[in-house]
Amino acid sequence: MKLVSRHVDKHGAGHITLRPEDDEDMWHLYNLIQKGDSVGATTIRRVQKTSNTGSIDSQRVRLNLTVEVNKVEFSSYAAPTSGGDTSASGEASGPSANPATTSLHISGRVTVENPHVKLGAFHTLDIETDRNVRIEKADGWDSIALNRVEEAILPGRGAEVGAVVCGEGTAAFCLLSEHMTLVAGRISVSIPRKAAASGTSQHEKALTKFYGTLFDGFVRHIPFANVGLKAIVIASPGWVKDAVFDYMLQEAGRRGDKTLQKALKEKGVKVHTSSPHVHSLVEVLQSPQIVSQLKETKFAREGIALDKFHKMLSSDELRAWYGPDHVVLAADRGAIGTLLISDELFRASDPETRKKYVALVEAVQQKGGEVVIFSKLNQLTGIAAILTFPLDIEVVEAEEREVEEERKRAEDEEGT
Amino acid sequence: MGPQLGRTVHVVIVSMPVSHHHHRHPFHSILPVQMTLWPTLVVGHPWRITETGDQQLLLKLNLTLIVWIIVVICADYFVFGFVVRYTAAREREKAQKRLEAAASRTVSPMPKGKKGSNPQPKTPVRSGAATPSRGVDQRALDISALNLTEKEEKPQIIEEPPKISFAREKLLEEAKKALDAEGRNNKKNVSLVVIGHVDAGKSTLMGRLLYELGRLDEKTRIANERGSNKAGKGSFSWAWSLDGTTEERERGITMDIALQSMVTPHRQITILDAPGHKDFIPNMISGASQADCALLVVDATTGEFEAGFNRGGQTREHILLVRSLGVSQVIVAVNKLDQTNWDKSRYDEICDFLRPFLTQSGYHSSKTKFVPVSAMQGVNLATREGDDGKVLRSWYDGPSLVDCLDQLEPPTRDIYAPLRIPISNVFKGQGSGVAVSGRLCGGVVQVGDRLRVLPGDETAIVKTIDFEEENVSWAIAGSNVTIYLTAIDPVHLNIGSVLCYPNELVPLATIFTARVIVFDIQIPITTGTSVELFHHSRDVPATIANLIATIDRATGDIVKKKPRVLTKGISAEVQLSLRTTSLSGPSVVRPIPLEPFSVNKDMGRILLRRGGETIGAGIVLEIFG
Repeated sequence: MKLVSRHVDKHGAGHITLRPEDDEDMWHLYNLIQKGDSVGATTIRRVQKTSNTGSIDSQRVRLNLTVEVNKVEFSSYAAPTSGGDTSASGEASGPSANPATTSLHISGRVTVENPHVKLGAFHTLDIETDRNVRIEKADGWDSIALNRVEEAILPGRGAEVGAVVCGEGTAAFCLLSEHMTLVAGRISVSIPRKAAASGTSQHEKALTKFYGTLFDGFVRHIPFANVGLKAIVIASPGWVKDAVFDYMLQEAGRRGDKTLQKALKEKGVKVHTSSPHVHSLVEVLQSPQIVSQLKETKFAREGIALDKFHKMLSSDELRAWYGPDHVVLAADRGAIGTLLISDELFRASDPETRKKYVALVEAVQQKGGEVVIFSKLNQLTGIAAILTFPLDIEVVEAEEREVEEERKRAEDEEGT
Repeated sequence: MGPQLGRTVHVVIVSMPVSHHHHRHPFHSILPVQMTLWPTLVVGHPWRITETGDQQLLLKLNLTLIVWIIVVICADYFVFGFVVRYTAAREREKAQKRLEAAASRTVSPMPKGKKGSNPQPKTPVRSGAATPSRGVDQRALDISALNLTEKEEKPQIIEEPPKISFAREKLLEEAKKALDAEGRNNKKNVSLVVIGHVDAGKSTLMGRLLYELGRLDEKTRIANERGSNKAGKGSFSWAWSLDGTTEERERGITMDIALQSMVTPHRQITILDAPGHKDFIPNMISGASQADCALLVVDATTGEFEAGFNRGGQTREHILLVRSLGVSQVIVAVNKLDQTNWDKSRYDEICDFLRPFLTQSGYHSSKTKFVPVSAMQGVNLATREGDDGKVLRSWYDGPSLVDCLDQLEPPTRDIYAPLRIPISNVFKGQGSGVAVSGRLCGGVVQVGDRLRVLPGDETAIVKTIDFEEENVSWAIAGSNVTIYLTAIDPVHLNIGSVLCYPNELVPLATIFTARVIVFDIQIPITTGTSVELFHHSRDVPATIANLIATIDRATGDIVKKKPRVLTKGISAEVQLSLRTTSLSGPSVVRPIPLEPFSVNKDMGRILLRRGGETIGAGIVLEIFG
């Protein structure tokens, strides 16, 4: 992402203009833009005009519109739009050969008057790559949002990895970048169990079909010819990964696809996982082969923090807390050493809750604590903390109750 | 539909003369119309009258009359055939409904199980002939204009009832009789899962056992021996009779369940040879959920037994898994004793080591048996005659493996429960049909039944049922069957789907509560832990959404509400929710068929795994849609 202009004063008021360049930038924008913000971007709108004679003329006009955000939608299943399907041929491998697989839609009322659109009319902005987006925050830019901008505009993308997580008969094609995991596609082929009598087994026939389907899916979804792609991971339990890898090499040779052959030989990594589900990507990212490739990426940091939390939870339960209420209590006592928080909490919540979380993060940072913002923390209710000293949750809760009662009593006394 | 259409055609032909008879006078009634028509023609062509004589006019009249008769006959034939076909279909539908009603009345009422089910049963038979009803109306109107209404009193056609061999109540009676007779004049059926650490010799033991019992012919044995020697894996020759796929043979490892059957003097045993490698535990679970008893194979050689039993070995995990899937009888075959020179102390050591663990895992000591065997040499499988068994004979006089298998207790079979068949395999049957295999978790099924496939909206008809390699007309709860289905596209049948009657649907769940026992785990379970949920042959991602309470294992009392974490050994009540299968994009959670344990035991057992490790087992308490 490119920073085009930035006008933010010390109180957070002002606007920032950004230019997204790829899928991950869309993800950043998705996390940045909130309900109530005003966002300006170029867009296409169908404009209707009634002439003097009463005939209606409809035209599609490219406009620059600013809307007050009502809804932000991010989807990773949009059809490839620009640049064509470069991966399909495997020939063209330009600098931005990655076809756009994500889309970001921002809808709301138009707030800036325009000769073609009335004020207050609804419009949905379809954010496009290489077009400027101007964002103005409703409540001003907070530290989380500014950090996100800083992160997003860092030049030099973290490593990208294409991964296929497969089992017998199922496969998911994933694209991992520093902040985002995309499931680009999945296939599932029903494979009969092995027959009691060997020989004309339907099992093997179905397997061959599965490998074929997987190969086609791979070629379609994984931009293997892209220079930016650091590794191609084939992950599975058992030996499916070996069989798949061998088949793909062989098939690439048979089809004379030199690019794919080269890519597989140079970047191909086989990783063992415990299950064929997409969530075993976590295991992929923790495997030594990948860790060495993705050193110092956000994901590695997240993994380390999460491991630390789990270890703490099993060794010293009183120093590992999770859940929004409990973590806030711990923060009040200045006990948080490391705060683990999912970016989903900032994104999905209403402005009030967001403010609460921002304040929490800022408070922890002020006291010298470490904050790890997760791009995907499905577990632990999205927020967890490793404490610097043990605190018994029940004691703390009892304290809180006491304080509450005290306060109530005081109120009652005042009242009487 | 094919045969039914054929039948209607037959009926129509028979009824033809009758219709002729009926339409004698309608022709007369048509004549005046004809007469009135004729003059206009005459008026239209006045020159004709002058040229043609009376004779010619008469000929013309006759010709038109003949044409008209043909037209009317055709119309009549068509419409009448239609009506007959239509009414026949109606008739058949009624008969079917009557039967269904009778059947549902006789089946034991299970109101609890129907919580999420469709209250209205689907109409069982759809008649293709009845579908173009609008067309019928139109033609009927035309006919009524021709004063043909008296045709209503058509001959009564007696339609034979739909092809179901006999009504459900009768079937249940017969099943009950067969069940009572079991063991007196025929053999009791038991299904047995073979478990143990990888390379303990499960497949080899089974291969040898099949040979000893005469299920494996000499020709195949020699072929396997030659093949495995050629591949440089001579020691796998016995296992090859179960490990059928190329990959399994190449690697010398069982990867999926192998289904076989064998016969002992008093038992008919279905064998499910499970893979021991930890990557294939999902397959092992699928097999174990179809079994009544377990045969645990342990490797007696020094170091190997310990490796299998310690952390990371499958012996321990398999024992727990199988127990939590409802298997209560276990036979422990202490294998490879020949490699320890039939050392009695080693055998005793292993027995003493396993016995307390089995008791602790919930196996009753009277239902656990130990047998020393050597699969490669075939000692003490059926007999311990011969030179190889000499040493063993000197210190062991207990039962052989076959003797133990012969005493396995068959499961209780709940034939009055609603039918449930979780599908464990789908493959192409002979011809156009599709075959599914699985174990009946309650109820009875017979040829000709229409079954619903859940999840989904499809139904299928049972064409044939295979049980123990024999074609049967019905099967009861607890049997492992292969069912050939028709009237369904194979794409609607998935491994993990459940077959049931259309009027006794199995509930579908995305969120439910369960009582779980936490296994020996390193990282405790917290709210939001992502797990893989195993239910029969299905394996779906799920989240532990809520820790409701920890429970005292012995008394069942609530120890603590809303615990923060579940550590090893804890029994707890939790809420589980299925996860969407996609990380991004539209979040669609596909429900799975599930039933509370209180309603159907086999359908209410779940297993939870995380990161290739089983973290807990449980039973379903309540389903929240």
